[in-house]
This record gives sequence, structure tokens and C-alpha cells, in this order.
Amino acid sequence: MRLLIFLILLTLLVSACGHVQTPTAELNVAQVKEVTTDPDAAVWRDVPLHISKMIPQDLVDPRVMEPSTSEVQVKAITDGTQIAFRLEWIDPTQNDVPGPKHFLDGCAVQIPARIDPNVPAPQMGEAGKTVEIAFWRADWQAIVDGRATDDIRTIYPNATVDHYPSQARSLEGNPQALAEAAARYSPARAVGNRRGGPREQPVEDMLAEGPGTLSPAADTTSKGKGIKTKTGWSVVIARQVPAGFSPGTPTQSAFAVWEAAHGEVGARKMRTGWVPMILK
Amino acid sequence: MARVNNWQLGREMSYWYPESRPEKQFAAVFDTNKCIACQTCTLACKTTWTSGKGQEYMLWNNVETKPYGFYPLAWDLNLLEMLDGQQWSERDGKTVYEGSTIFESAPAGERVLGWRPSDEDYAYPNVGEDDCSGGVDGGASLEGTHDMAWFYYLARICNHCTYPACLASCPRGSIYKRPEDGIVLVDQGRCRGYQECVRGCPYKKVFFNPITSTSEKCIACFPKIEQGLAPQCFENCIGKIRMAGFLNTPDKAQADNPLDYLVHIKKVALPLFPQFGLEPNVYYIPPIHVPTTFTRQMFGPGVDKAVEVYRNAPNDPDLTSLLGLFGSTAQITRRWKRVGDKAIGMDEHGKELVSVPFREPVHIRPAYDKLYQITRTNCP
Ligand code: SF4
Ligand code: SF4
Repeated sequence: MRLLIFLILLTLLVSACGHVQTPTAELNVAQVKEVTTDPDAAVWRDVPLHISKMIPQDLVDPRVMEPSTSEVQVKAITDGTQIAFRLEWIDPTQNDVPGPKHFLDGCAVQIPARIDPNVPAPQMGEAGKTVEIAFWRADWQAIVDGRATDDIRTIYPNATVDHYPSQARSLEGNPQALAEAAARYSPARAVGNRRGGPREQPVEDMLAEGPGTLSPAADTTSKGKGIKTKTGWSVVIARQVPAGFSPGTPTQSAFAVWEAAHGEVGARKMRTGWVPMILK
Repeated sequence: MARVNNWQLGREMSYWYPESRPEKQFAAVFDTNKCIACQTCTLACKTTWTSGKGQEYMLWNNVETKPYGFYPLAWDLNLLEMLDGQQWSERDGKTVYEGSTIFESAPAGERVLGWRPSDEDYAYPNVGEDDCSGGVDGGASLEGTHDMAWFYYLARICNHCTYPACLASCPRGSIYKRPEDGIVLVDQGRCRGYQECVRGCPYKKVFFNPITSTSEKCIACFPKIEQGLAPQCFENCIGKIRMAGFLNTPDKAQADNPLDYLVHIKKVALPLFPQFGLEPNVYYIPPIHVPTTFTRQMFGPGVDKAVEVYRNAPNDPDLTSLLGLFGSTAQITRRWKRVGDKAIGMDEHGKELVSVPFREPVHIRPAYDKLYQITRTNCP
């Protein structure tokens, strides 16, 4: 009788959770017809699951002294051109509004720029051994999902502003003068640093050759989408398949997660080591 | 960590990078005794540099009433509470800081000892304005001077520190100190908005811009400095409390350099919280009516001497004349001299920029004007 109740409960539990997968030690990339950036797409269901343990970034200061996110669940699919990673982790709070002392939830996928048995250092590569990083941020997602940019009231709804010189009446009807004035009062934008503001994708492609060397790639070709779930985040980052990646030629991937409510930003992050990435 | 010399502490200290002093160091002297808290400086800066989106709350220049004014809230108290044993001692005729700096007391995992202001901490830029340190008995202020209570105005900009904590805090090396004039800048192309500099700067003079998602700070109006002109907050100062220039280290002090004279020779102008260890380059003539038990913590152990020197200025024609040069020209007075009862401000080549009589002629006008047959009353 007891055994029967146990089995019934187990069946209920399993059906409530969808289905239980046994995680694999490596990241097995499943071949699909077309990759998706939708974290909820049905295609993910049967893709092999890898669970990566996370530890704090521990190479440079500042760093996280108390570990936060303990693991990230990763699945990956490819259509031969694009490779999409779905990262899921537990984070009870949604932090997607920037401000003083307000940080932003985020995650990143790192891959060696070249497939080579001599892999770069796992923490952002090293001199001469570049890593490619695709970085997703929650505020960028909110902007892509339609949150107004460039308005302080999206951050502080009760803010009142008398006047911005960049919107002076004398400039009205002169788009070029308006754009010039906006740039004058926005130095980061003027030099092409687009950390905030309008954007098409919630992801940015970057390169690094060691801690502190992170710089934007010439172009961002990666795409992505993140959804806040009841327990955390579910984020897809899709990028180009690493050159030479094939069933006979595995490579590596590594992951990082920033839990903003834990003060994580920049070097203060949780990360994994290299995870072998295999195409079956 | 490297070992570097911090003359304000009278000793070496640990810093993130080796000592590398600029060719010349932008510096300033503010005379707190003359500030009237009109905030003209604040507005001059605001309208010039921080009228953009995301900069609404930023005051690269602010003026707060001490002891109860702060921007952001409790910027100094928070750190003072974290920093242990700020003792100074006399050693071999030298005043030496025995406590530890914010670099030396950085906790594990951090580059400096610091804290992060929240957005609410910036929401009360005028908190404590004109609040006295204590109560004043009824009628006391009308009876003349009293020593029951005090306040004073502290005008603050970035100190363009010799050992900037903002620069040391940035794991990306996005902050740099210009070799030509020591001005400290955030590279707006490199900054990724981690706000480590905001956390690290003890003076809280780097600000996070939530619209551009980068950090921004006082740039000492470098386009003006490059043309030999004083920054906006200096040129527009109503109280003429400010003098901009370049400061040498004490061993290279030049008597005809106005800042060297005030800081190194007369020792009448003192750094703000030297114990933090940044060798800040804005120097303050301390308020002379405030108990030095308070100002000693803020301006270091030289404060009693500085007050004495300033009080004696009427008997010191050189000092009086130099004080008269404050705010007398929009140009940076690199050199100065006294000729009779005039102070002459000069550029670096000795060319005269301005000449100021240090005692203005006094006219006493009788209350009754015979010509117009009218009695005039002067306001006190
Ligand atoms: S005052 Fe603050 S922002 Fe300015 S140089 Fe010093 S540490 Fe940096
Ligand atoms: S303009 Fe001068 S007098 Fe007025 S508040 Fe600023 S520093 Fe003080």
C-alpha cells in the first residue's frame, strides 16, 4: 500500500515538473532544424540538460565573498549556423532598472575564439588567447520588450524636469541640431558607448583577453531573449556556431550569472569553469 | 599594492598602482570663511556640464552646511565610522598619520574601503542647510558673537586626487589621471557602469548616469584649463572664495606660486580628510569660528596653526594681498607678487594678468548729505 502511494505521488510529481532529465556532465548540443530565442519553445523539452556548478569569480578584486547563485541549468541547440544556449537559474528578484546602487540581473556565455586543445584561461581568457562572450542584461531585455528609454520617468516615475538644453525650443524642427545637442549632453553615447538607451537586442557580443580587457566586438550579431520565471530567469542567447565546431571537434563553453540583488556587477559575479561542449 | 609617498600623511602608504605624479597637478584653495552658500558655483557647473538626461540628480559641485549638511547623505560620516583609529602623532619633528587609509583597510575581496550611496541618499542635496551645530539661547545672536553654536559652508568638487580611489577601484582601468595636469577623468568609451568608482570615492564625487549606464564626474573644466582659464565654479564664485592653479610637492614649493604659498609655505590651506589617503588636491582654509575639535578631523592636524595664520592675516601683508587675488580674474594665476599695497597676479611667464589693491580705500560718508539735504541710513 505504502509503495503504491509513493508511486502515485512520484508520478504526480514527475508530471507536475514536466519531465525529469538526468543531467549530463558535458554540454551536449542538440541538432535542430531552426534555432529559437524563445526560452519557452517546445524544442527545448528533450534537449539534453547540463547543470553547471557556479563559484565566485576569484581571480581579481573586487569579487563576491559570499557565493550566491549555486548552479545554472544549460541546454544548447544548433541548426549548423547558429547555436542557442538556454540558461536558467534561481533568482527571486527581478532587477532590470539601473540607478545608483541598483544593478542589473544578467548572464553570459563564453567560448574560446579558436578551437585549440590549449584552451584559454577560463576566467575571461588570457593574452593571445581570446575568448568570445555574449552577454545578456535584464534592463536591455526590458528596453527590447518596450520600456521607454531616455526618459528619467521610466526610472523615477515622479521625477519632474524643468528643461533639457538638448530639447531647447530653438532646436525644434531641426533634427540634426537636436541630435548634436543630445550627444553633447550624453558623452558616453557621443563616443559610441551604448550601455544604455535604445537597442534591438538584449545581448551584446564582446571579446576578452583576460580580466579587465573586456571590449565590445566589432559588431553584435548575437540575439537573445530573457523571461522572468516564478523562481528565476530563463534566458536564451543565440550566436554564431564557433568556427570548426563539429561532431569530431568539440570545444568549450563557460557561463556567468550576475544576481543584482546580491550586489553583483562586473567582476562581482558567479561563474563556471570550462564545460566541454559536444555536438552529437 | 605598491608603496607610494603621501606627503599629507607624512609617510608612505599602500596604493593600487606605483607613484606616478603628473607633470603638474591641478589644485585649488577654497576659503571657507568667505563662502555664502549662494550655490552660484553649483549652478555654473550644472548648466555647463550636467543638464543632460540621467544627470538630473548630479551635482559635480555642491555646497553643504556643516555639520549637518551632506550630499549625498552622510557621505563623510559613513566612511569615518568605518575607518578605525584615525590618530596622528609627532615623529622626528614630522606629523605622521598613524591610522590606516582606505587603501590600507580594504576588506578581503575589495580594492578600497568604501560604501555605496543609494538613490535616496542623493535626494536631499540641501539637507541641514544653515542648521547650527547646537541651540542658541534666546537673544544671544543679537548681543554679538557667541560661541554656543556654529555652522559653515563647505563647497566641494572632485579633488583630482594624487591617489584617486575612483581610479584604483575600477577593475577595467576606465579611469585615468592626465599626465599633463593631473585631472582625473572617466573614459566614457571604456566605462561599463559597474559603479565601483562610486563606491570607492570617499568624497562621493563620481556619479552613475542611469540613462547612459556609465559613471560621470567633475572634469575640472579641462577645456578651460587647457586655455589657462579657471573652471566655471571658480570664475562664477560670488564670494571669491576660490583660487585655481597647480601645486608642487612640498620639497619643490615655490613662494611665487599662489597655491604653494598657501599650502606649503603658510600652511593656511589644508586637505579635506587627508586620513583617507588620497592626497586630495582641493585645499581649504578652515573656518576660523568653528571649534578645532571638529575641524581637526575634517582638515587634519594642521588646523589650529592654519586658523592662527589666517587670524593674523591683517598683520601679514603678503598673505592679505594674496587672499585679495582670489576670484580677481578668470585666468589661472600661476605666479604672484606683492608690490606695495597691491597684489599682482601673473601667468606662468610672469606677464601681469591682474593687479588688486589689498586694502580698498575707505570712505566714511556722513549720514546727512548736505548737497541733497537728505539723511541716508546704511544697512549694517
Ligand atoms: S575626489 Fe573622488 S572622484 Fe575625484 S579623483 Fe578623488 S577619488 Fe576620484
Ligand atoms: S559661488 Fe562661491 S560663495 Fe557661492 S556657494 Fe559657491 S563657493 Fe560659496
